[in-house]
Amino acid sequence: MKCAWKELLSILPPWLAAEVERRDMLQELRLRLDSPPELVFPEESQWLRRAVSRADLLFCVNTASRYSPWASQTMASGYLTAPGGHRIGLCGETVVNRGVMTGFREITSLCIRVARDFPGIGENAAGLSGSILLIGPPGSGKTTLLRDIVRTISQRETVAVVDEREELFPVEFRQSAKRMDVLTGCAKADGIEIALRCMGPSSLAVDEITAEADCEALLRAGWCGVRLLATAHAASLQDLYRRAVYRPLVKAQLFSHVLVLHRDKSWREERMEL
Amino acid sequence: MIEKWIGAALVIGSCGVTGFSMVAAHKKEENALRQLIRALDYMECELQYRLTPLPELCRQAGGEVGGTLGQALRLLSRELECQILPDVESCMNAALSACGDLPERTGKAMRRLGASLGRFDLEGQLKGLESVRSDCREELKQLGLHRDERLRSYQTLGLCAGAALTILFI
Repeated sequence: MKCAWKELLSILPPWLAAEVERRDMLQELRLRLDSPPELVFPEESQWLRRAVSRADLLFCVNTASRYSPWASQTMASGYLTAPGGHRIGLCGETVVNRGVMTGFREITSLCIRVARDFPGIGENAAGLSGSILLIGPPGSGKTTLLRDIVRTISQRETVAVVDEREELFPVEFRQSAKRMDVLTGCAKADGIEIALRCMGPSSLAVDEITAEADCEALLRAGWCGVRLLATAHAASLQDLYRRAVYRPLVKAQLFSHVLVLHRDKSWREERMEL
Repeated sequence: MIEKWIGAALVIGSCGVTGFSMVAAHKKEENALRQLIRALDYMECELQYRLTPLPELCRQAGGEVGGTLGQALRLLSRELECQILPDVESCMNAALSACGDLPERTGKAMRRLGASLGRFDLEGQLKGLESVRSDCREELKQLGLHRDERLRSYQTLGLCAGAALTILFI
């Protein structure tokens, strides 16, 4: 297991970094204003003693965004991606301008999800032919599995990765991928078009299909000789069918294989049916 | 007798040096403010085009202007990269303390810059840069008022004060 541990510690206030250091199994760190930090492990949660202050939350947000709010426009979507691919979910009092959320007036909670890399877990799945969709509840390891599938496939063919949030392949996890081109920062729908048109990939990977625009872009990219690899939020195939946003993908039978992941990190292949 | 002449020369010389150093400080202040304006111009262009993150932006601006101001900006970049202090203002204060040799008005402008950096979105940040830049221009304007007369009077006053002291001591 690999984790950009140094990058994680660098975004925490020094007192908290000292507490968190060497806790290898840490999955999430939840910081709530005036409450002790919650350290979430696979089987249990632990609480530290010292309460989190405003300055601590500000420290995390500032360091994760490298003191550059203009370069982290995802804050308006309620999250930040820290160096190392660690995702920070934000909660608090929002600023809404003309009906559109533009940022936070005050941040009162952070959920820091530790990005991990398990080389080798995607070898079996990478052997499947055709497009693959990974589904599962939050925290089931969709991104981690997709990362290893991409890395394995990139040993033999070119893979273009559209990594909007820079979580799938942060710089620290790119070394062992051989034929991989990563497009970061732009919207998935735009990125899919660009990668397809400009990079000539054999496979195209996208993490977290959440919007209709993403599905439409995938449909446009489908059946043109490029294998698609994607993840989506759905606990089961039934949930996938029920979610309106994914209906066009289901109807078009774009994916030959659906891998259903569970909270215990296991997965099984299921066949999509109309 | 010779000791008296040597003493007189030393008094006049030291007072003269004080006057000349005031002139040099004035020019240094002007140069530093001009450099800061140049750095702010560079930062604005860079932000508008590339949305460069602040540590990289300060490092690049520091390289662009060089000198003491460049060193201060590079120190700020290093403070930001270290990620020990909670906000840009604290990082700026730490960088200026480490730098030390920045003229007074430029130092103040840098502190104002530190207070405005890293707090707003792009539009707000550009306004913050513009506000510091217009302050710098105003400071430069103040320094430029009767500049030549003022600089000449510093030199003359230094030498005259030395001569007056010499006469008093003799």
